[in-house]
Amino acid sequence: MKKKLVAVLLTGAMAVSMVACGSSAPAEKPADAPAEEASAEEGEAAEETAPVEASDLKVGFVTSAAGANDTGYNKSAVDAIKEAADEYGFEYRVVEPSSSLTVGQAIEGLAEDGFNLIFNLEYDFAALIDGTGATGNTPIAEQYPDTTFVIYNDNPNVNEDGSTKYSNVYSVMFNVNESSYLAGYLAVQTLENMDTLLPEGYKFQALDNGGRAIGFVGGTESAGIRVYSYGYMEGIEAAAAEYDVTYDYYPTFDAGFVDSAAGNTTAGNMYQNGCNVVFADCGNVGDGITERAEADGRLAIQTDADLDATHPGFILTSVLKITGSPTRAIIDAKVDGSLSSMDNLLNYGLDSNATGITDLATMTATVADADVWAEIVEKVNDKAAKIASGEIVVTNAQVGDTFDPATCPHVVEK
Amino acid sequence: MGVINSIVYETVVYLGPVLLCVLGGLFAYKANVLNIALEGMMLMGAFMSVLTAFKTESLGLSYLMAVVSTMALGLVFSFFSVKMKGNVIVIGLAINMLVPAIAGFVMKVMALPTITLSWFSPRSIQVNIPIIKDIPVIGPILSGHPPLTYISYLMIIIAAVILYKTRFGVYVRVTGENEEAAISLGLKTNWYKTAAILIGALCCGLAGANISMERLSLFTNNMTASRGFIAIAAIYCGRGKPIPCTLYTILFAIINAVAEYFSLQVSASLLLKAVPYFAMVAVLSIASAINRRNASDRGAFAD
Repeated sequence: MKKKLVAVLLTGAMAVSMVACGSSAPAEKPADAPAEEASAEEGEAAEETAPVEASDLKVGFVTSAAGANDTGYNKSAVDAIKEAADEYGFEYRVVEPSSSLTVGQAIEGLAEDGFNLIFNLEYDFAALIDGTGATGNTPIAEQYPDTTFVIYNDNPNVNEDGSTKYSNVYSVMFNVNESSYLAGYLAVQTLENMDTLLPEGYKFQALDNGGRAIGFVGGTESAGIRVYSYGYMEGIEAAAAEYDVTYDYYPTFDAGFVDSAAGNTTAGNMYQNGCNVVFADCGNVGDGITERAEADGRLAIQTDADLDATHPGFILTSVLKITGSPTRAIIDAKVDGSLSSMDNLLNYGLDSNATGITDLATMTATVADADVWAEIVEKVNDKAAKIASGEIVVTNAQVGDTFDPATCPHVVEK
Repeated sequence: MGVINSIVYETVVYLGPVLLCVLGGLFAYKANVLNIALEGMMLMGAFMSVLTAFKTESLGLSYLMAVVSTMALGLVFSFFSVKMKGNVIVIGLAINMLVPAIAGFVMKVMALPTITLSWFSPRSIQVNIPIIKDIPVIGPILSGHPPLTYISYLMIIIAAVILYKTRFGVYVRVTGENEEAAISLGLKTNWYKTAAILIGALCCGLAGANISMERLSLFTNNMTASRGFIAIAAIYCGRGKPIPCTLYTILFAIINAVAEYFSLQVSASLLLKAVPYFAMVAVLSIASAINRRNASDRGAFAD
């Protein structure tokens, strides 16, 4: 009797966990019910001005492999869509691609279901633009000409002569190269003044004893990661040239986005090699790196969202990529009808609020000498202004710029 | 010296949890119920320890929950494999897939991409032994680690003693080597199999807590990153004997730490990161070739 009871309990536990598994795995999340109710009133209000009635708008969103619940890259865009859905009252659906649902299938499924504004945050455009994905040979963008597609971080939507291939596809680019430049510049400026700025609570490698070294941990080898590294190097170069010193640069591009314990080890090795700052551009693995920064008393730089406060004083800054900002702008433009007049390649630079570095509030509260710090921040802002005005041009690997190491004589890549 | 110390330290960091998995998992191997769910159980331990610590801010409870949750998984595994006589590979796979799904689901509900403990610092439980910690090579092996790493060292002896010096160990081995004979002697073989699985589950829970809470004070999904499978490889290489298994685990840990360290220095770092796995396949082949040659009996458990 007792055994049977245990058996029943265990089967029950298994069944419950299966259900739990089932609800996490499915790719689709239905739109909030209240949003539909709200659409009745809001839709009418928008009717007078808007060519696309908000109630006719259906927004689809395909997340990257990290899923909607990440440190900020997907979450920011999903939050923007939710917020807009509350305001305008449209239906939306968030889809997470998986091994059994390719990005192409996800996009096509949404288009087929009548979603007329579809965002894709995964770095996979083959089925949409070239039709070479799992969905057959006709590009999805061609199959659904009335549907607006928005992609991020790359612009594959061009013909060989450089003209736009499909007018219903919008490419959103973040000039993270510019933000990374600022991060690199800030890193060197901070290190060169570390004795006055951060005299206590750190275990920095002395500058003239191999401490002029900086690391970069990328999740994977791609133009989308390289773009950070190149901008970062050029920023290091700019500041190193000011002081006429040479910095060692340790980049890796194989940390992945999952194994935070290995990221912790990689960062530890970099710190062991004298690196005083390590730039983490590898999603969740970054948490293992910042943990190590605090353990080893060094500095780290985070990516995507403002994560400065997760290890206060040990994260110099975060290179922001706020996907929600352009996402919201495009939804607004779709609703008020101005989208068709927008360029198919949308660049978001330092002058937008979609990229940049953080306001440095956490570090400002940490530094010992506020005056020196204010001078550095002033210099960084000056660089930002020069980048915005075009006086400084930062290599942008994501649009195909090539990087010439000879332009960075003060940075020695290891 | 600094370089070597750092490589040795990282070796121990990697070694701790894998060793716990190996020494726990070899009981099931010896009892002839191969537990390939080590990976999933370890992830469960990692997840539950940090989740409990996050919710309760109690270190003791979080160790307890890591063990309780993996033991529950162990019970599920034993129920289906021993009692219901299901296929152990399929059940193990199911658990390996189930755990990241549960963790992902819970974190989604909590709207957290990683569970980070702000109240707890891994430094606070590190055991720093004075004098010894300054000795090269020995220092980073013996000093500066969290408690469970030392328990993993102790487990080498404990596992060997249980397996070879106790009646329980003999019965577990008899169950694995010849179940019919064991039954004819009146042994409750199902009981010994279940116990062997549960020992493995317990150790996996501790291994998980070591990776997530003790080392990083954070949990990200799938953070065990196939360490459970490395453990299975080590169990196979050492054919379930505690000392050889330990040596193989140390070998893998050293290769891993060396590759990790030198991947910074060379540009072909991706190739270098594959070295531990190449080495593992090579060691596994050589070990099995040697084992086969010396074997007088045929069969997986011929000693």
